Amino acid sequence: MSAAELTASEAARWAALAGLPLPADRHASVAAVAHHIHAVVAVLRELDFGDTPPALAYRAGEEKYDAAV
Amino acid sequence: MQPYELSLTAAADEIRERRLSPVELTDSVLQRVAQAEPHLHAYVTIVAEHARRAAREAAHDIAAGRYRGPLHGIPMGLKDLIDVAGTATSAGSRVRADHHAPADSTVAARLREAGAVLVGKTHTHEFAYGLTTPQTHNAWDRTRVAGGSSGGSAVAVASGMATFALGTDTGGSIRVPTALNGVVGLKPTYGLVPRHGVTSLSWSLDHVGPITRTVEDAGVVLNALAGHDPRDPASLATPVADYRPIAGTDLTGLRVGVPRTYYFDHIDPEIEAAVRRAIDRLQALGARLVDVETPMTRYIQATQWGLMVPEATAYHQGTLRTVPELYQDDVRILLEAGELMPAGDYLRAQRSRTLMRQEWARMLQEVDVIAAPTVPATAVEADRSTITWADGTVEDVSDAYVRLSSPANITGVPSLSLPVGHDAAGLPIGMQLLGRPLGESVLLRVGHAYEQTQPARDLAHAA
Repeated sequence: MSAAELTASEAARWAALAGLPLPADRHASVAAVAHHIHAVVAVLRELDFGDTPPALAYRAGEEKYDAAV
Repeated sequence: MQPYELSLTAAADEIRERRLSPVELTDSVLQRVAQAEPHLHAYVTIVAEHARRAAREAAHDIAAGRYRGPLHGIPMGLKDLIDVAGTATSAGSRVRADHHAPADSTVAARLREAGAVLVGKTHTHEFAYGLTTPQTHNAWDRTRVAGGSSGGSAVAVASGMATFALGTDTGGSIRVPTALNGVVGLKPTYGLVPRHGVTSLSWSLDHVGPITRTVEDAGVVLNALAGHDPRDPASLATPVADYRPIAGTDLTGLRVGVPRTYYFDHIDPEIEAAVRRAIDRLQALGARLVDVETPMTRYIQATQWGLMVPEATAYHQGTLRTVPELYQDDVRILLEAGELMPAGDYLRAQRSRTLMRQEWARMLQEVDVIAAPTVPATAVEADRSTITWADGTVEDVSDAYVRLSSPANITGVPSLSLPVGHDAAGLPIGMQLLGRPLGESVLLRVGHAYEQTQPARDLAHAA
Protein backbone atom coordinates (compact mmCIF):
# COMPACT_ATOMS: atom_id res chain seq x y z
CA MET A 1 0.00 0.00 0.00
CA SER A 2 1.26 3.45 -0.77
CA ALA A 3 -0.36 6.01 1.49
CA ALA A 4 1.18 8.71 -0.70
CA GLU A 5 -1.73 8.18 -3.05
CA LEU A 6 -4.20 7.05 -0.41
CA THR A 7 -7.66 8.26 -1.36
CA ALA A 8 -10.78 8.17 0.74
CA SER A 9 -12.08 5.14 -1.13
CA GLU A 10 -8.74 3.33 -0.81
CA ALA A 11 -8.72 3.98 2.93
CA ALA A 12 -12.22 2.52 3.12
CA ARG A 13 -11.14 -0.54 1.15
CA TRP A 14 -8.03 -1.18 3.23
CA ALA A 15 -9.99 -0.75 6.44
CA ALA A 16 -12.60 -3.18 5.17
CA LEU A 17 -9.84 -5.67 4.31
CA ALA A 18 -8.68 -5.30 7.93
CA GLY A 19 -12.20 -6.15 9.04
CA LEU A 20 -13.20 -2.59 9.95
CA PRO A 21 -16.01 -1.28 7.77
CA LEU A 22 -15.89 2.52 7.99
CA PRO A 23 -18.97 4.74 7.63
CA ALA A 24 -18.78 6.80 4.44
CA ASP A 25 -18.47 10.06 6.33
CA ARG A 26 -15.19 8.87 7.87
CA HIS A 27 -13.36 7.75 4.73
CA ALA A 28 -11.66 11.07 3.96
CA SER A 29 -10.62 11.90 7.54
CA VAL A 30 -9.22 8.41 8.19
CA ALA A 31 -7.33 8.58 4.89
CA ALA A 32 -5.79 11.89 5.93
CA VAL A 33 -4.65 10.62 9.33
CA ALA A 34 -3.38 7.34 7.87
CA HIS A 35 -1.42 9.34 5.31
CA HIS A 36 0.15 11.47 8.05
CA ILE A 37 1.10 8.39 10.08
CA HIS A 38 2.55 6.78 6.97
CA ALA A 39 4.62 9.89 6.22
CA VAL A 40 6.10 9.79 9.73
CA VAL A 41 6.82 6.06 9.77
CA ALA A 42 8.07 5.76 6.18
CA VAL A 43 11.40 7.33 7.15
CA LEU A 44 12.32 3.96 8.73
CA ARG A 45 12.70 2.57 5.20
CA GLU A 46 15.97 4.52 4.93
CA LEU A 47 17.63 2.34 7.56
CA ASP A 48 19.94 -0.49 6.53
CA PHE A 49 18.94 -3.17 9.00
CA GLY A 50 21.24 -5.93 7.76
CA ASP A 51 20.63 -8.90 10.05
CA THR A 52 19.12 -6.79 12.84
CA PRO A 53 16.24 -8.70 14.43
CA PRO A 54 13.08 -6.99 15.65
CA ALA A 55 13.03 -6.26 19.39
CA LEU A 56 10.35 -8.88 19.89
CA ALA A 57 12.45 -11.80 21.09
CA TYR A 58 11.22 -13.60 24.17
CA ARG A 59 12.75 -16.10 26.53
CA ALA A 60 11.21 -19.54 26.47
CA GLY A 61 10.96 -21.01 29.90
CA GLU A 62 12.20 -19.46 33.10
CA GLU A 63 13.20 -15.82 32.82
CA LYS A 64 16.61 -14.93 34.14
CA TYR A 65 17.78 -11.58 35.45
CA ASP A 66 19.56 -9.73 32.67
CA ALA A 67 20.89 -6.23 33.22
CA ALA A 68 21.22 -5.67 29.47
CA VAL A 69 17.56 -4.85 29.02
CA MET B 1 1.72 23.91 57.46
CA GLN B 2 -1.32 21.66 56.96
CA PRO B 3 -0.86 17.88 56.77
CA TYR B 4 -1.91 17.81 53.10
CA GLU B 5 1.11 20.00 52.30
CA LEU B 6 3.60 17.44 53.63
CA SER B 7 5.73 15.38 51.28
CA LEU B 8 5.28 11.63 51.54
CA THR B 9 8.56 11.22 53.39
CA ALA B 10 7.75 14.03 55.83
CA ALA B 11 4.25 12.67 56.46
CA ALA B 12 5.61 9.15 56.95
CA ASP B 13 8.12 10.43 59.51
CA GLU B 14 5.34 12.18 61.40
CA ILE B 15 3.16 9.07 61.36
CA ARG B 16 5.99 6.78 62.42
CA GLU B 17 6.81 9.06 65.33
CA ARG B 18 3.08 9.17 66.27
CA ARG B 19 2.99 12.96 65.86
CA LEU B 20 0.42 12.68 63.05
CA SER B 21 -2.35 10.15 62.65
CA PRO B 22 -3.31 8.72 59.23
CA VAL B 23 -6.83 9.91 60.07
CA GLU B 24 -5.67 13.52 60.47
CA LEU B 25 -3.63 13.31 57.28
CA THR B 26 -6.44 11.76 55.25
CA ASP B 27 -9.00 14.25 56.59
CA SER B 28 -6.68 17.09 55.66
CA VAL B 29 -6.20 15.75 52.12
CA LEU B 30 -9.97 15.22 51.74
CA GLN B 31 -10.59 18.79 52.89
CA ARG B 32 -8.12 19.98 50.29
CA VAL B 33 -9.92 17.85 47.70
CA ALA B 34 -13.24 19.48 48.66
CA GLN B 35 -11.66 22.90 48.17
CA ALA B 36 -9.57 22.37 45.02
CA GLU B 37 -11.24 19.60 43.04
CA PRO B 38 -14.17 21.73 41.78
CA HIS B 39 -11.60 24.00 40.12
CA LEU B 40 -9.05 21.45 38.87
CA HIS B 41 -10.96 18.22 38.10
CA ALA B 42 -8.11 15.85 38.87
CA TYR B 43 -10.34 12.96 39.98
CA VAL B 44 -12.88 10.90 38.11
CA THR B 45 -13.90 9.09 41.32
CA ILE B 46 -13.32 10.05 44.95
CA VAL B 47 -13.77 7.33 47.57
CA ALA B 48 -13.84 9.52 50.67
CA GLU B 49 -15.62 7.05 52.95
CA HIS B 50 -13.32 4.23 51.92
CA ALA B 51 -10.33 6.52 52.55
CA ARG B 52 -11.53 7.48 56.03
CA ARG B 53 -12.13 3.83 56.91
CA ALA B 54 -8.72 2.76 55.59
CA ALA B 55 -7.09 5.61 57.51
CA ARG B 56 -8.80 4.51 60.75
CA GLU B 57 -7.58 0.95 60.17
CA ALA B 58 -4.06 2.22 59.53
CA ALA B 59 -4.17 4.30 62.71
CA HIS B 60 -5.42 1.29 64.66
CA ASP B 61 -2.70 -1.00 63.27
CA ILE B 62 0.07 1.51 63.92
CA ALA B 63 -1.16 2.09 67.48
CA ALA B 64 -1.09 -1.68 67.97
CA GLY B 65 2.54 -1.83 66.83
CA ARG B 66 1.85 -3.14 63.33
CA TYR B 67 3.57 -0.37 61.38
CA ARG B 68 4.07 -1.50 57.79
CA GLY B 69 6.48 1.13 56.57
CA PRO B 70 6.56 4.58 55.01
CA LEU B 71 3.40 4.20 52.90
CA HIS B 72 1.26 3.15 55.86
CA GLY B 73 -1.60 5.61 56.19
CA ILE B 74 -0.52 7.77 53.23
CA PRO B 75 -3.30 9.08 50.90
CA MET B 76 -2.82 8.36 47.22
CA GLY B 77 -4.48 8.73 43.83
CA LEU B 78 -4.34 6.04 41.15
CA LYS B 79 -4.65 6.81 37.46
CA ASP B 80 -7.91 5.44 36.19
CA LEU B 81 -6.18 2.85 34.02
CA ILE B 82 -5.14 0.91 37.12
CA ASP B 83 -7.52 -1.76 38.38
CA VAL B 84 -8.72 -1.58 41.96
CA ALA B 85 -10.92 -4.49 42.99
CA GLY B 86 -14.61 -3.63 43.04
CA THR B 87 -14.30 -0.28 41.27
CA ALA B 88 -14.59 0.81 37.65
CA THR B 89 -11.48 1.43 35.58
CA SER B 90 -13.04 4.00 33.26
CA ALA B 91 -9.83 4.79 31.33
CA GLY B 92 -11.37 8.19 30.69
CA SER B 93 -13.74 6.62 28.20
CA ARG B 94 -17.46 6.04 27.69
CA VAL B 95 -16.39 2.67 26.26
CA ARG B 96 -15.74 1.60 29.87
CA ALA B 97 -19.01 2.95 31.31
CA ASP B 98 -20.00 -0.42 32.79
CA HIS B 99 -16.52 -1.58 33.75
CA HIS B 100 -15.96 -3.40 37.00
CA ALA B 101 -12.46 -4.55 38.02
CA PRO B 102 -12.72 -7.99 39.60
CA ALA B 103 -9.32 -7.82 41.28
CA ASP B 104 -6.52 -5.44 42.17
CA SER B 105 -3.78 -4.78 39.66
CA THR B 106 -0.36 -5.85 40.90
CA VAL B 107 0.59 -2.27 41.78
CA ALA B 108 -2.70 -1.56 43.58
CA ALA B 109 -2.31 -4.79 45.56
CA ARG B 110 1.27 -3.91 46.52
CA LEU B 111 0.28 -0.42 47.66
CA ARG B 112 -2.68 -1.81 49.60
CA GLU B 113 -0.33 -4.27 51.28
CA ALA B 114 2.02 -1.38 52.13
CA GLY B 115 -0.87 0.38 53.86
CA ALA B 116 -1.46 3.26 51.43
CA VAL B 117 -4.92 4.87 51.52
CA LEU B 118 -6.77 5.27 48.22
CA VAL B 119 -8.40 8.70 47.86
CA GLY B 120 -9.65 8.19 44.32
CA LYS B 121 -9.03 7.41 40.68
CA THR B 122 -7.50 10.22 38.64
CA HIS B 123 -8.34 11.44 35.16
CA THR B 124 -6.45 10.16 32.14
CA HIS B 125 -6.53 11.21 28.52
CA GLU B 126 -8.89 8.63 26.99
CA PHE B 127 -7.13 5.25 27.15
CA ALA B 128 -3.88 7.21 27.70
CA TYR B 129 -3.83 8.03 23.98
CA GLY B 130 -2.98 11.74 24.23
CA LEU B 131 -0.77 14.29 25.92
CA THR B 132 -3.21 16.82 27.41
CA THR B 133 -5.95 15.23 29.63
CA PRO B 134 -8.65 17.72 28.59
CA GLN B 135 -10.88 16.93 31.61
CA THR B 136 -8.28 18.35 34.03
CA HIS B 137 -6.83 21.84 34.52
CA ASN B 138 -3.21 22.71 35.17
CA ALA B 139 -2.51 23.08 38.89
CA TRP B 140 -0.66 26.39 38.38
CA ASP B 141 -2.95 28.05 35.83
CA ARG B 142 -6.41 26.70 35.20
CA THR B 143 -6.50 28.08 31.67
CA ARG B 144 -3.63 25.80 30.68
CA VAL B 145 -3.32 22.09 29.94
CA ALA B 146 -2.60 19.60 32.68
CA GLY B 147 -0.48 17.54 30.33
CA GLY B 148 -1.05 13.87 29.91
CA SER B 149 -1.93 11.29 29.84
CA SER B 150 -1.51 11.04 33.63
CA GLY B 151 -2.82 14.59 34.03
CA GLY B 152 -5.15 13.89 36.94
CA SER B 153 -2.42 12.21 38.99
CA ALA B 154 0.08 15.02 38.42
CA VAL B 155 -2.45 17.75 39.27
CA ALA B 156 -3.65 15.88 42.38
CA VAL B 157 -0.10 15.63 43.73
CA ALA B 158 0.85 19.18 42.71
CA SER B 159 -2.20 20.70 44.40
CA GLY B 160 -2.17 18.68 47.64
CA MET B 161 -5.14 16.47 46.73
CA ALA B 162 -2.96 13.34 47.07
CA THR B 163 0.32 12.81 48.88
CA PHE B 164 1.46 10.65 45.97
CA ALA B 165 -0.04 9.04 42.90
CA LEU B 166 0.66 6.53 40.15
CA GLY B 167 0.74 7.23 36.47
CA THR B 168 1.49 5.31 33.31
CA ASP B 169 3.95 6.30 30.60
CA THR B 170 3.97 5.09 26.98
CA GLY B 171 5.66 8.07 25.33
CA GLY B 172 5.97 10.46 28.26
CA SER B 173 2.65 10.25 30.07
CA ILE B 174 4.17 10.36 33.57
CA ARG B 175 6.94 12.83 32.81
CA VAL B 176 5.02 15.32 30.66
CA PRO B 177 2.27 16.15 33.19
CA THR B 178 4.70 16.10 36.11
CA ALA B 179 6.94 18.59 34.29
CA LEU B 180 3.96 20.81 33.45
CA ASN B 181 2.68 20.77 37.05
CA GLY B 182 5.96 21.05 38.96
CA VAL B 183 6.16 17.62 40.58
CA VAL B 184 8.40 14.56 40.28
CA GLY B 185 7.68 11.66 37.93
CA LEU B 186 9.62 8.45 37.42
CA LYS B 187 9.30 6.20 34.39
CA PRO B 188 11.16 3.13 35.58
CA THR B 189 13.11 0.68 33.43
CA TYR B 190 10.82 -1.31 31.14
CA GLY B 191 9.72 -4.37 33.08
CA LEU B 192 10.75 -3.19 36.56
CA VAL B 193 7.18 -2.43 37.69
CA PRO B 194 4.58 -5.05 36.71
CA ARG B 195 1.66 -3.91 34.58
CA HIS B 196 -0.73 -6.74 35.33
CA GLY B 197 -4.20 -5.22 35.78
CA VAL B 198 -3.26 -1.93 34.12
CA THR B 199 -5.07 -1.04 30.89
CA SER B 200 -2.59 -1.08 28.03
CA LEU B 201 -2.01 1.56 25.42
CA SER B 202 0.97 -0.11 23.75
CA TRP B 203 2.38 -3.26 25.32
CA SER B 204 5.97 -2.77 24.23
CA LEU B 205 6.11 0.85 25.42
CA ASP B 206 3.92 0.93 28.55
CA HIS B 207 5.33 1.61 32.02
CA VAL B 208 3.81 2.29 35.46
CA GLY B 209 5.53 4.62 37.90
CA PRO B 210 5.26 7.06 40.80
CA ILE B 211 4.27 10.73 40.81
CA THR B 212 5.43 12.52 43.94
CA ARG B 213 6.43 15.89 45.42
CA THR B 214 10.09 14.98 45.91
CA VAL B 215 12.66 12.64 44.41
CA GLU B 216 13.06 10.88 47.73
CA ASP B 217 9.32 10.19 47.75
CA ALA B 218 9.60 8.58 44.30
CA GLY B 219 12.22 6.18 45.63
CA VAL B 220 10.00 5.27 48.58
CA VAL B 221 7.04 4.48 46.29
CA LEU B 222 9.24 2.56 43.85
CA ASN B 223 10.29 0.31 46.73
CA ALA B 224 6.69 -0.83 47.04
CA LEU B 225 6.09 -1.21 43.29
CA ALA B 226 9.19 -2.95 41.93
CA GLY B 227 9.52 -6.70 41.74
CA HIS B 228 8.78 -9.59 39.45
CA ASP B 229 5.25 -10.67 38.57
CA PRO B 230 4.99 -13.47 35.99
CA ARG B 231 1.56 -12.23 34.94
CA ASP B 232 3.28 -9.38 33.07
CA PRO B 233 5.34 -11.02 30.32
CA ALA B 234 7.78 -8.09 30.31
CA SER B 235 8.33 -8.24 34.07
CA LEU B 236 11.97 -8.56 35.06
CA ALA B 237 13.17 -10.87 37.81
CA THR B 238 15.31 -8.21 39.43
CA PRO B 239 16.94 -8.54 42.83
CA VAL B 240 15.29 -6.63 45.67
CA ALA B 241 16.76 -3.15 45.95
CA ASP B 242 16.27 -0.15 48.23
CA TYR B 243 15.57 2.82 45.97
CA ARG B 244 15.31 5.43 48.72
CA PRO B 245 18.20 7.76 47.90
CA ILE B 246 20.99 8.20 50.38
CA ALA B 247 21.44 11.59 51.99
CA GLY B 248 24.32 13.71 50.81
CA THR B 249 24.99 15.88 47.83
CA ASP B 250 28.50 14.88 46.81
CA LEU B 251 28.46 13.88 43.14
CA THR B 252 32.23 13.70 42.73
CA GLY B 253 33.18 11.41 39.90
CA LEU B 254 29.69 11.17 38.42
CA ARG B 255 29.64 11.68 34.65
CA VAL B 256 26.62 13.68 33.48
CA GLY B 257 25.93 13.53 29.76
CA VAL B 258 24.71 16.77 28.21
CA PRO B 259 23.18 16.16 24.77
CA ARG B 260 24.72 18.21 21.98
CA THR B 261 21.82 17.35 19.71
CA TYR B 262 18.06 16.88 19.80
CA TYR B 263 17.16 17.67 23.43
CA PHE B 264 17.91 21.38 23.18
CA ASP B 265 16.54 21.86 19.66
CA HIS B 266 13.21 23.69 19.23
CA ILE B 267 12.88 24.48 22.90
CA ASP B 268 11.63 27.46 24.90
CA PRO B 269 14.71 29.58 25.81
CA GLU B 270 13.51 29.85 29.42
CA ILE B 271 13.44 26.05 29.68
CA GLU B 272 16.90 25.74 28.19
CA ALA B 273 18.25 28.32 30.63
CA ALA B 274 16.65 26.64 33.66
CA VAL B 275 17.84 23.16 32.69
CA ARG B 276 21.38 24.36 31.99
CA ARG B 277 21.39 26.10 35.39
CA ALA B 278 20.37 22.82 37.01
CA ILE B 279 23.12 20.98 35.10
CA ASP B 280 25.61 23.59 36.31
CA ARG B 281 24.39 22.86 39.83
CA LEU B 282 25.19 19.17 39.32
CA GLN B 283 28.64 20.19 38.19
CA ALA B 284 29.04 22.35 41.30
CA LEU B 285 28.22 19.25 43.36
CA GLY B 286 31.18 17.45 41.80
CA ALA B 287 29.77 15.91 38.63
CA ARG B 288 31.79 15.98 35.42
CA LEU B 289 29.88 17.18 32.37
CA VAL B 290 30.38 15.20 29.17
CA ASP B 291 28.98 16.16 25.77
CA VAL B 292 27.03 13.33 24.19
CA GLU B 293 25.53 12.85 20.77
CA THR B 294 21.93 11.62 20.81
CA PRO B 295 21.79 8.66 18.42
CA MET B 296 19.34 8.10 15.57
CA THR B 297 17.36 11.26 16.24
CA ARG B 298 15.84 11.21 12.75
CA TYR B 299 14.09 7.93 13.58
CA ILE B 300 12.73 8.59 17.08
CA GLN B 301 9.22 9.74 16.16
CA ALA B 302 8.94 7.15 13.39
CA THR B 303 9.90 4.35 15.76
CA GLN B 304 7.57 5.55 18.51
CA TRP B 305 4.62 5.81 16.12
CA GLY B 306 5.51 2.59 14.31
CA LEU B 307 5.28 0.73 17.62
CA MET B 308 2.47 2.57 19.36
CA VAL B 309 -0.07 3.07 16.58
CA PRO B 310 -0.59 -0.57 15.58
CA GLU B 311 -0.31 -1.88 19.15
CA ALA B 312 -2.98 0.57 20.37
CA THR B 313 -5.24 -0.32 17.49
CA ALA B 314 -4.79 -4.02 18.23
CA TYR B 315 -5.77 -3.53 21.89
CA HIS B 316 -9.03 -1.85 20.83
CA GLN B 317 -9.83 -4.29 18.03
CA GLY B 318 -13.11 -5.45 19.57
CA THR B 319 -14.69 -2.22 20.78
CA LEU B 320 -13.55 -0.26 17.73
CA ARG B 321 -15.90 -2.52 15.76
CA THR B 322 -18.78 -2.77 18.22
CA VAL B 323 -19.00 0.70 19.84
CA PRO B 324 -16.78 3.09 17.82
CA GLU B 325 -19.11 6.01 18.51
CA LEU B 326 -18.26 5.87 22.22
CA TYR B 327 -14.64 6.96 21.66
CA GLN B 328 -13.63 10.62 21.61
CA ASP B 329 -12.95 11.84 18.07
CA ASP B 330 -9.18 12.30 18.53
CA VAL B 331 -8.68 8.75 19.82
CA ARG B 332 -11.15 7.03 17.49
CA ILE B 333 -9.50 8.31 14.34
CA LEU B 334 -6.02 7.28 15.48
CA LEU B 335 -7.31 3.79 16.26
CA GLU B 336 -9.05 3.56 12.88
CA ALA B 337 -6.06 4.84 10.94
CA GLY B 338 -3.89 2.34 12.78
CA GLU B 339 -5.74 -0.45 11.00
CA LEU B 340 -4.14 0.76 7.78
CA MET B 341 -0.52 0.36 8.88
CA PRO B 342 1.22 -2.57 7.18
CA ALA B 343 2.98 -5.18 9.31
CA GLY B 344 6.21 -4.29 7.51
CA ASP B 345 6.17 -0.82 9.07
CA TYR B 346 5.66 -2.29 12.52
CA LEU B 347 8.57 -4.69 12.05
CA ARG B 348 10.79 -1.89 10.80
CA ALA B 349 9.97 0.01 13.99
CA GLN B 350 10.87 -3.03 16.08
CA ARG B 351 14.15 -3.44 14.21
CA SER B 352 14.86 0.28 14.55
CA ARG B 353 14.25 -0.13 18.28
CA THR B 354 16.93 -2.85 18.38
CA LEU B 355 19.41 -0.47 16.75
CA MET B 356 18.40 2.41 19.00
CA ARG B 357 18.82 0.34 22.15
CA GLN B 358 22.30 -0.67 21.02
CA GLU B 359 23.25 2.95 20.29
CA TRP B 360 21.86 4.16 23.63
CA ALA B 361 23.75 1.40 25.46
CA ARG B 362 26.94 2.65 23.80
CA MET B 363 26.19 6.25 24.79
CA LEU B 364 25.43 5.20 28.37
CA GLN B 365 28.84 3.55 28.65
CA GLU B 366 30.39 7.02 28.40
CA VAL B 367 28.25 8.63 31.10
CA ASP B 368 26.35 7.67 34.24
CA VAL B 369 23.29 9.82 33.59
CA ILE B 370 22.04 12.11 30.87
CA ALA B 371 20.43 15.42 31.84
CA ALA B 372 17.97 17.08 29.47
CA PRO B 373 14.73 19.02 29.40
CA THR B 374 11.60 16.89 29.95
CA VAL B 375 9.41 18.90 27.58
CA PRO B 376 10.32 21.71 25.18
CA ALA B 377 7.49 24.02 26.29
CA THR B 378 5.71 24.79 29.56
CA ALA B 379 1.95 24.27 29.83
CA VAL B 380 0.17 25.82 26.85
CA GLU B 381 -3.30 27.39 26.85
CA ALA B 382 -5.95 24.67 26.82
CA ASP B 383 -7.29 25.65 23.40
CA ARG B 384 -3.93 25.82 21.67
CA SER B 385 -3.09 23.06 19.18
CA THR B 386 0.31 24.14 17.82
CA ILE B 387 3.57 25.74 18.94
CA THR B 388 5.54 28.02 16.63
CA TRP B 389 9.30 27.94 17.22
CA ALA B 390 11.72 30.83 16.71
CA ASP B 391 12.72 29.59 13.24
CA GLY B 392 9.07 29.58 12.13
CA THR B 393 8.61 25.82 12.44
CA VAL B 394 5.10 24.90 13.56
CA GLU B 395 4.73 21.80 15.72
CA ASP B 396 1.62 20.05 17.02
CA VAL B 397 1.40 20.48 20.83
CA SER B 398 1.22 16.74 21.46
CA ASP B 399 4.16 16.05 19.14
CA ALA B 400 6.19 18.67 21.02
CA TYR B 401 5.34 17.33 24.46
CA VAL B 402 6.23 13.73 23.57
CA ARG B 403 9.35 14.56 21.55
CA LEU B 404 11.92 14.52 24.36
CA SER B 405 10.36 11.79 26.48
CA SER B 406 9.70 9.02 23.94
CA PRO B 407 13.35 7.88 23.53
CA ALA B 408 13.18 6.38 27.03
CA ASN B 409 10.05 4.43 26.10
CA ILE B 410 11.60 3.08 22.91
CA THR B 411 14.82 2.04 24.61
CA GLY B 412 13.33 1.11 28.00
CA VAL B 413 15.85 3.17 29.97
CA PRO B 414 14.67 4.83 33.19
CA SER B 415 13.86 8.53 33.21
CA LEU B 416 13.21 10.76 36.21
CA SER B 417 11.60 14.17 35.74
CA LEU B 418 12.02 16.78 38.44
CA PRO B 419 11.19 20.49 38.73
CA VAL B 420 14.04 22.94 38.09
CA GLY B 421 12.24 26.29 38.22
CA HIS B 422 9.47 28.34 36.65
CA ASP B 423 9.17 30.50 33.55
CA ALA B 424 8.29 34.19 33.64
CA ALA B 425 4.59 33.29 33.67
CA GLY B 426 5.12 31.20 36.80
CA LEU B 427 4.72 27.86 35.04
CA PRO B 428 6.91 24.93 36.13
CA ILE B 429 9.92 23.68 34.17
CA GLY B 430 11.06 20.05 34.28
CA MET B 431 14.43 18.38 33.76
CA GLN B 432 14.77 14.67 33.10
CA LEU B 433 17.61 12.43 34.15
CA LEU B 434 18.05 9.34 32.01
CA GLY B 435 20.15 6.38 33.01
CA ARG B 436 21.17 2.84 32.23
CA PRO B 437 18.59 0.06 32.40
CA LEU B 438 17.92 -0.66 36.09
CA GLY B 439 19.91 2.45 36.99
CA GLU B 440 17.05 4.00 39.00
CA SER B 441 19.19 4.32 42.11
CA VAL B 442 21.66 6.55 40.28
CA LEU B 443 18.91 8.80 38.91
CA LEU B 444 17.28 9.08 42.33
CA ARG B 445 20.61 9.84 44.00
CA VAL B 446 21.40 12.61 41.53
CA GLY B 447 17.89 14.06 41.64
CA HIS B 448 17.84 13.96 45.43
CA ALA B 449 21.24 15.66 45.61
CA TYR B 450 19.96 18.44 43.37
CA GLU B 451 16.77 18.85 45.40
CA GLN B 452 18.70 19.11 48.65
CA THR B 453 20.46 22.20 47.32
CA GLN B 454 17.20 23.92 46.41
CA PRO B 455 14.58 25.64 48.59
CA ALA B 456 11.55 23.48 49.41
CA ARG B 457 8.89 23.84 46.74
CA ASP B 458 5.42 25.21 47.45
CA LEU B 459 2.27 23.45 46.37
CA ALA B 460 0.58 24.70 43.23
CA HIS B 461 -1.79 27.57 43.87
CA ALA B 462 -4.32 27.70 41.03
CA ALA B 463 -7.09 26.44 43.34
